Amino acid sequence: MNNIETKLGKLQFQNPITVASGTFGYEYSDYVDFNKLGAIVTKTITKHPKIGNKPPRLFETSGGLLNSIGLQNPGLENFIKDELPKYRGFSTNLIISFSGSSISEFKEILLRLEDEEGIDGYEINVSCPNVENEGLAFGVDAKIVNKLTGELSKLTTRELTIKLSPNVTDIKEIAKAAEDGGADSLSLINTLLGMAIDWKTGKIYFKRGLAGYSGPVIKPVALNLVYQVAKTVNIPIMAMGGISNWMDALEFIYAGASVVAIGTQNFVNPKITIETINNLQNFLEEKKLTIKNLIGKANMEEK
Amino acid sequence: MQKILPINYIEKINKDYFIIYIKNKELALKSKPGQFFELLPMGNYKGLLRKPISIYNIENDTIGFMIKKIGYGTKYLSQLKVGDFIDFLGPLGNSFNIPMNQKVMLISGGIGYAPLFYLSKELKNKHNSVIWIHGGRSEKDIFDSNIMNYTNDGSYGKKGFVTSNLEKILEVEKIEKVFTCGPQIMMKEISKITQKKEINTEVSLESYMACGIGVCKGCSVLIKKNNENVYKTVCKDGPIFNSKEVVWDE
Ligand SMILES: Cc1cc2nc3c(=O)[nH]c(=O)nc-3n(C[C@H](O)[C@H](O)[C@H](O)COP(=O)(O)OP(=O)(O)OC[C@H]3O[C@@H](n4cnc5c(N)ncnc54)[C@H](O)[C@@H]3O)c2cc1C
Ligand SMILES: Cc1cc2nc3c(=O)[nH]c(=O)nc-3n(C[C@H](O)[C@H](O)[C@H](O)COP(=O)(O)O)c2cc1C
Ligand code: FES
Repeated sequence: MNNIETKLGKLQFQNPITVASGTFGYEYSDYVDFNKLGAIVTKTITKHPKIGNKPPRLFETSGGLLNSIGLQNPGLENFIKDELPKYRGFSTNLIISFSGSSISEFKEILLRLEDEEGIDGYEINVSCPNVENEGLAFGVDAKIVNKLTGELSKLTTRELTIKLSPNVTDIKEIAKAAEDGGADSLSLINTLLGMAIDWKTGKIYFKRGLAGYSGPVIKPVALNLVYQVAKTVNIPIMAMGGISNWMDALEFIYAGASVVAIGTQNFVNPKITIETINNLQNFLEEKKLTIKNLIGKANMEEK
Repeated sequence: MQKILPINYIEKINKDYFIIYIKNKELALKSKPGQFFELLPMGNYKGLLRKPISIYNIENDTIGFMIKKIGYGTKYLSQLKVGDFIDFLGPLGNSFNIPMNQKVMLISGGIGYAPLFYLSKELKNKHNSVIWIHGGRSEKDIFDSNIMNYTNDGSYGKKGFVTSNLEKILEVEKIEKVFTCGPQIMMKEISKITQKKEINTEVSLESYMACGIGVCKGCSVLIKKNNENVYKTVCKDGPIFNSKEVVWDE
């Protein structure tokens, strides 16, 4: 089993396959043995419950998915009461994703979660609007990401992962800011921005206009960003963006990811995580390779 | 459950509608009227998401799916042949509440006919007397000459809408419960009428879906619960809702 083990910062992973926040939930336990995953990453929670955006919330494009869920979630306290107990029992890593509307709110949520057992790490979703900065997303401003990471890293010894948005001018700058702030690892990419318009009527499909774009079609974009960031920082990366099978997973590992997360593809094939782990394991055994030796080994050699 | 199964039989109704039959004892036993499956064709399929399709009929081990050709996914399904494989996720969602010994009415519009067919059989098994009103655009949207049919263009049955004479029929026939599936606007009109008459009504809602099991929250619709509007998932909390709970104007 050794050849498939990996690490993300402080956390030991039995294999590099985990799930992208918001695309996985307890319902998948009917299809997947959670103990077999490298980690479980839960849906982003906020301090207060969020009812989410007005429908329609989904739209399929060729090879991609647009979503406008609006972070529908039960809120911190309901999560702790109703959902956390269900996830605690699994032997794998549990990473809780959360977001806030100000730095103090992020701190408050983290401190509340520190009281709870069974949590191995936090994934900080910085794609939310910052009320202290004209509602601009936290993730677009390197200074703020640096400050946020600095404040949060002081408060916990658990794994602290900053999830980067691709919707920025220079993701490397944001990545560096998070590293300098004390992040243990980075996770990328969150959804791209997209929209849909009906050519017959000109009608804008989503009530908010824009939506998050994910799925196989964004893989080349994600691969490039992971590659760029991996060259810039020294902390490990959890990669996501269009990963649909074990071969995609390997590509991201070559690009520099220590761990990879499957998102949209869970909706297509609820057993995709387990199938990916098994196929990856078989491949590594057959080729006598180990994950650790492949991370960041993308190359230009003729073979 | 997730199972990859071959098509056992295909019935072509007309150029727009067809029925795919599969055989699987386990799935057939679990399936209840109103539930659905998420279908993913195997092979060269270029779509990303699965397609939610209601259970049209169950007979012994055989499950039928009646499908209308709309876009890429349903057209792809229409071109499959016997022996081709489809990946099935389901049965999913809740199901209709089936009464006993009542006078019930089914009201369908277009492909809304599909889930009501299996329901009608189970209703009859529970000794209910069933009246079925169906509406379509034209003759090719009509599937059974033995029920009450309306077409918008008058090419078959009565010209008009399923709601045209509804109040009167509900009264004369002393209907105690209504089940409906069809276009949103049709179900909304029906709900208004049955609410006025205080007739218990169950509606089968549609929504764009991804996961189909309650995870992504992509299929949420606004539902009234204790005087508060909350989002519920069509895939897991539904697709069947009591008409009184549905917030139609959103
Ligand atoms: C619970 C439920 C049960 C259904 N039962 C049946 C049935 O028994 N028979 C039948 O013919 N149709 C049924 N439908 C509708 C069917 O799922 C859509 O017609 C089909 O998904 C259209 O896909 P397409 O690729 O052919 O068309 P597209 O061109 O992709 O889409 C056409 C329209 O179909 C709807 N649609 C597209 N993708 C999805 C999706 N992933 N989820 C939900 N809706 C979508 C949207 O309104 C869209 O505008 C059901 C839908 C739901 C939600
Ligand atoms: C329906 C849906 C909901 C999502 N919700 C969240 C979320 O709550 N928090 C978050 O950080 N990312 C969320 N994401 C983004 C994913 O975690 C992931 O970063 C992105 O989808 C790219 O990966 P993929 O192409 O494999 O889906 C969501 C994505 C989808 C499709
Ligand atoms: S389709 Fe994902 S929650 Fe209903």
